[in-house]
Amino acid sequence: MKANPSRPKIQQGGSSTKKKTGTRQQNVESSILVVGDDSLVAEYSAVISAHHFQLLSPEKIKSLKAFAKKVSLAIELSNLNLEQKKKNLILLDAALPATTAILSSSVTVSVLEQTEWITLKHRLAGIAALPSLLQNSLVEVAPSVHTLEATMEVVKKFFASLGKEIAIVQDRAGLVLPRILCQIINEAMFAVQTSVASPGDIDTAMKLGTNYPLGPIEWGEKIGFDQVHATLDALFNDMHEERYRACPLLKQLAVTGKFWSK
Amino acid sequence: MSLHIGIVGAGTMGAGIAHVAALHQCTVSLYDIHDDIIRRGIERITADLKKGVEKQKFSEEEMTAALKRIRPRTSLADLDTCDIIIEAVIEDLLVKKDLFKKLDAIAHHTTILATNTSSFSVTSIASVTKKPHRIVGLHFFNPVHLMNLVEVVRGEHTSEETIARALEFCQQIGKTSVKVNDSPGFIVNRVARPFYGEALRLLDEGVASVEEIDRIVRSEGGFKMGPFELMDLIGVDVNFAVTQSVYDQFFHDLRYRPHPIQKQMVESGKLGRKTKKGFYNY
Ligand SMILES: NC(=O)c1ccc[n+]([C@@H]2O[C@H](COP(=O)([O-])OP(=O)(O)OC[C@H]3O[C@@H](n4cnc5c(N)ncnc54)[C@H](O)[C@@H]3O)[C@@H](O)[C@H]2O)c1
Repeated sequence: MKANPSRPKIQQGGSSTKKKTGTRQQNVESSILVVGDDSLVAEYSAVISAHHFQLLSPEKIKSLKAFAKKVSLAIELSNLNLEQKKKNLILLDAALPATTAILSSSVTVSVLEQTEWITLKHRLAGIAALPSLLQNSLVEVAPSVHTLEATMEVVKKFFASLGKEIAIVQDRAGLVLPRILCQIINEAMFAVQTSVASPGDIDTAMKLGTNYPLGPIEWGEKIGFDQVHATLDALFNDMHEERYRACPLLKQLAVTGKFWSK
Repeated sequence: MSLHIGIVGAGTMGAGIAHVAALHQCTVSLYDIHDDIIRRGIERITADLKKGVEKQKFSEEEMTAALKRIRPRTSLADLDTCDIIIEAVIEDLLVKKDLFKKLDAIAHHTTILATNTSSFSVTSIASVTKKPHRIVGLHFFNPVHLMNLVEVVRGEHTSEETIARALEFCQQIGKTSVKVNDSPGFIVNRVARPFYGEALRLLDEGVASVEEIDRIVRSEGGFKMGPFELMDLIGVDVNFAVTQSVYDQFFHDLRYRPHPIQKQMVESGKLGRKTKKGFYNY
C-alpha cells in the first residue's frame, strides 16, 4: 500500500536478515525487545533467538531511551496483569521511534482497547500469544482499525522469518484458538469439579474419543491455569454471557498452579 | 476364561462391538428384530475383518475363528446365559426401557446389562429394572473396531462389582476404558461441545471464516481436523442432535446452547459430506 504521508513510515525491521536462516550470523544492528508474562517471554525469546535474531533483555525496557534506536520490533506479552501491560505499552510507545512496530498479545484485551493507552496507534498489532501455541506452525494476528498496512508488513515478515504462517483475524479478545481451547479446558474443569470423571480419564477420553492432540487438563497445565483463567475472564467481561463463566476449580488452580490430585 | 457376550441390535454399533468381541475370543450372540438385519450385520463384520487381514492386523485363520464365534439370534430368550448383554438398538428411550424390562426378566441374575446409549441417562434406563445394580453404560465410539475408547458409565445404582467386571471386559477386548459418573454427554460428548459451539459463534461474529477457523485450529492448535470439517464428517444433523440433547439434559444451561446456524443448515439439507454440501462443498 501507499503509506499515508501524514503517518510515519514503519521500518521493515524485524526481519531484515537477508541471509538464510540456518547461517549463524545475527542481525547485529537491530534487536527485538520482548516483555510481558514470564512464560510467554521465555517461549518467544527461545524461538526468536533460535532464528538468530538479537534479543534485548526485558529489563532494558526500564532504560529504553538509550537503546530505542536499536530496537527493530517490540513484543508485549502480558495477559495476566493488564495494568502492567498498559505501563509497558506506554513506555514502549514513548521511547521507540515512530517507525518501530509493536506487537502485543490481544488474548485478554482487544488491540483497539490497547490503542487507547498509546499515542501512535498505527504501529500496534495484536497476536494470539498463549503459552505453548508458538510451538506450532501458525500464529493469529489481529490488526485494529488503526493498524497501518506497513505495520502488518513488518509482522508478516517477522513471523515468516520464524517459519510461521499467519492467519489474520478480527480484533476480539480471545481471538480464535485461545477462545476455543480455554472453553474446552473450562468445560473439562466443570466435569472434574462435579466428579463426572477423574482428570486423567478426561484427558484419555478426549485424546482417544475425539483425537485431540492433548487432553484438556494437561493442556491447561501446559498453558498455565492462570492464563486460561485470564482468557475466560476477558471473554466473560466482553460478552457478559454465562457461557464464559470460569469454573471455580479453574480459579483455584490459577492460584495454586498445578493439578494437585491428578 | 472366554466370555459369552450378548448384543442386542446388529446395526452400526452392535455389529462393531460383535466384531471386536469375537476377535478377542468372546462368544457372541447377536440379536436383532429380523434375521435379515443380522445377516447384513455379519456381512459388514466380515468385510471389516477382511480389511484387517489385508492390513495384516491378524491372520485369515483368526478372522475365520472370530466369525465362527458369532451366533445369529432371533429370540431374546437365547441370551439368558450371557455374562454381559450389550444393548445397541436405536436411540429411543421407550424402546430401550421396554427392552431392559425384558432383559431383566430373561437374563441370569449374574448377567450384566449394558447400554451403548449416547444421550440417555443410564440411571433412567435402569429405573425400569428390578436389579439396577447390574446396569451399566458401555459407550463405544464409531467405528468400534478403530476407536479404542469405551466410556464405562456408572448409574446411580450401579454396583462396584458391575463396574469392575465391565472394566475387565473392556480390557479383554483391547479397549482403553475410562470411568464416568452418569451425567449428560458423559465425558467426550460434553467436553467436546465448545469445540463446535465456539467455532460457530466465532463464525457468526465475523471473527474468522470457516476455512480460516479450520486452518487455525489445525495449524495453531495441532488438531487433526478443524471444527467445521469435522461437523461435515460427523453430519451436521448428528452433531446438532448431540448438542441439543446435552443442552436439554442440563435443563438449558447456556454453556450448551446450540447455535441457530446448526438448525438452519439442517433445515436446508446441508448435512455435510453425506449430502455433498455442508460448511464445504464436496
Ligand atoms: N453411530 C454412532 O456413532 C454411535 C456412537 C456411540 C453410540 N451410539 C449409540 O448406539 C446405539 C445404536 O446406534 P447405531 O448407530 O448402531 O444405530 P443403527 O440404526 O445402525 O442400529 C440400530 C439397530 O437396532 C435395531 N433395533 C431397533 N429396535 C430394536 C429392538 N426393539 N430390539 C432389537 N433391535 C432393535 C435395528 O434393527 C438396527 O439394526 C444408539 O443408542 C446410539 O445412540 C451410536
